[in-house]
Amino acid sequence: MSLRVVGALVAKDLSLFFRNKFFGLITALGIVAYIVIYFVMPSSVNETLQLGLYAEVVPPAFEQLAEEGIVFEEVESEDALVEAVTDGQYAVGVALPPDILELFAAGERPQITVYSTADTPEEVTDAVEVVIRELAYLQVGEPLAVDISAEVLGPDMLGQQIPLRDRMRPLLAVFLVLFEMIGLAGLITDEVQQGTGRALLVTPATVPDLFAAKGLLGVGLAFGQAALFMAVIGGLNSQPLIILTALFLGAVLVTGFAFLIASLSRDMMSSLGWGMLILIVFIIPAFGILFPGTVSGWAKAIPSYYLADTVHQASAVGAGWGDVWLNLLVWLGIDLAVVVAGVAAVGRRLR
Amino acid sequence: MPRQAIVARNLSYWYGRLVAVDHISFSVAEGEIFGFLGPNGAGKSTTVNMLTGQLKPKSGHAVLLGLDVARYTNEVQAKIGVCFEESNLYEQMSAVENLELFARLFGTRSFNPYPLLKRVGLGGREKDRVETYSKGMKQRLMVARALANRPRILFLDEPTAGLDPTSAKSIRNLIRTVRHQGTTVLLTTHDMMEADELSDRLAFINHGKIVALDTPHNLKQQYGKRALKVQVTNQSGGLENREVVLDTSDTPDAIHELFSKENVVTVHSEEATLGDIFIALTGRGLIGPKPAPARPTKRRARR
Repeated sequence: MSLRVVGALVAKDLSLFFRNKFFGLITALGIVAYIVIYFVMPSSVNETLQLGLYAEVVPPAFEQLAEEGIVFEEVESEDALVEAVTDGQYAVGVALPPDILELFAAGERPQITVYSTADTPEEVTDAVEVVIRELAYLQVGEPLAVDISAEVLGPDMLGQQIPLRDRMRPLLAVFLVLFEMIGLAGLITDEVQQGTGRALLVTPATVPDLFAAKGLLGVGLAFGQAALFMAVIGGLNSQPLIILTALFLGAVLVTGFAFLIASLSRDMMSSLGWGMLILIVFIIPAFGILFPGTVSGWAKAIPSYYLADTVHQASAVGAGWGDVWLNLLVWLGIDLAVVVAGVAAVGRRLR
Repeated sequence: MPRQAIVARNLSYWYGRLVAVDHISFSVAEGEIFGFLGPNGAGKSTTVNMLTGQLKPKSGHAVLLGLDVARYTNEVQAKIGVCFEESNLYEQMSAVENLELFARLFGTRSFNPYPLLKRVGLGGREKDRVETYSKGMKQRLMVARALANRPRILFLDEPTAGLDPTSAKSIRNLIRTVRHQGTTVLLTTHDMMEADELSDRLAFINHGKIVALDTPHNLKQQYGKRALKVQVTNQSGGLENREVVLDTSDTPDAIHELFSKENVVTVHSEEATLGDIFIALTGRGLIGPKPAPARPTKRRARR
């Protein structure tokens, strides 16, 4: 392998990559857009549940709720409450009857209306109903006949829950890394289809030189962008070495997949098609982090799980090497397998 | 005796059961233009691929400038230039950038692409993207690229295919020029006129074997038929064609009889063509139909 040859090929590939207006624009805009998206997302989690309340007379027990993280904001009328809930101002609105205290005193069951919209998560309406029942019991002086103890599984993030934008870090980082796969695959496909690869191979450039150049370009672009993104959004403040290692291994993987895609593709469109297919599948584990509970254990079969999970664990939860070494090991194994397969597949086409 | 730039010794290559090149041997002297002719699927490209290090021979040896190609592929490739039949330039790059890239790959020091581009008639368009070039301009740039490392051997595959007469002529002139500068040229072509005009020697290949190899003149002498094409007037005043085959013992009598008995209007001599010779040798035309299994195999070889 010749450094002079590899250097010349990398310079050429880099130049061609950014001359492709689509990939140049997507790369430049992508990183800016992802940074903007990150900063636009809420930076903290509001642990207070704000509810609308219409009541001519507010029972004292309701006034204590602010201490429990539930704030009832009073509105002027039941109609105003309905309108506020419909407009999305409150997730749930509660309307108390005007004679609620008298009914409590008479031992009767007052009719309390809970307003919500179709968008309101069922968990929230259920929770509000439970709270109201408990308040009712409190108000009449008959406590519930059960003790409730809350158990938090995994790290207890009460009071320090992960903001949405920090949950998005793995998703955006995986997106950045994966998109380079499509660009690199397109570049290799072009090289094969236009016969330029063949022209290169009758010069002192060898097949290993070509792979080294493409590999350097792919890893450099993917890793460079993802690392820059993480640095700008503060994603490297916690466990930077682990995150950079994960991103580097991710960049190697997408380079391997770019080789595989190029070996299957006849033109730019087919490489784009294959690339999008892989991208969609690879994004799934990152969505699982963004929306916990939406993705089950099978996501571990998707290679990008180990990148997304490692980035999330290290950047959001502060996990150390001891926590993520298995992820990285699995990731490294997948890298080796994919790169070897990719080199073999596209090497056949180049030769 | 001139030194041999290219030596093929019992070269063979096969794809599965299909024998593409069957134990061929030939040599090309330094500074010679060697024409390599044959119909599609005859084994030309496979032979050139072995000579240029793109394929390893299944048997035999290819030796260029004294180096075994299979063993010293990189060293050989540093000394040769290859111009492919189909354009495989970086279309998004300019002509200058294309040439500079290849000069860097070859390690050519103090390379100036401008004089070379001027020589191939691309002066003034040096910095334009190749995608804006016509087919002829791309072909000329391909030839220029093959010359970027000042090669000692130049492989040209159909360098003038599909070009207008002016572009074709400029490329032929360039081939002559580089030959005069000492470069050996192996020219693969379907164009019999071009092969006749440029080549010092020619090899005809068919079904993977060399079926004839000599100078164009000798080949015509050996396999061709010279004739006189004569137009005469018949009794009703119309024109009729007569042919007198030359170089036979009966020729003088036939000519005498023709001129004494017929009213001769026009006389043209007709030389044997390489195309005629090839058909005579192989029983098929140069651009004729290919044997069915050869086509996909050849495509694979070109990748």
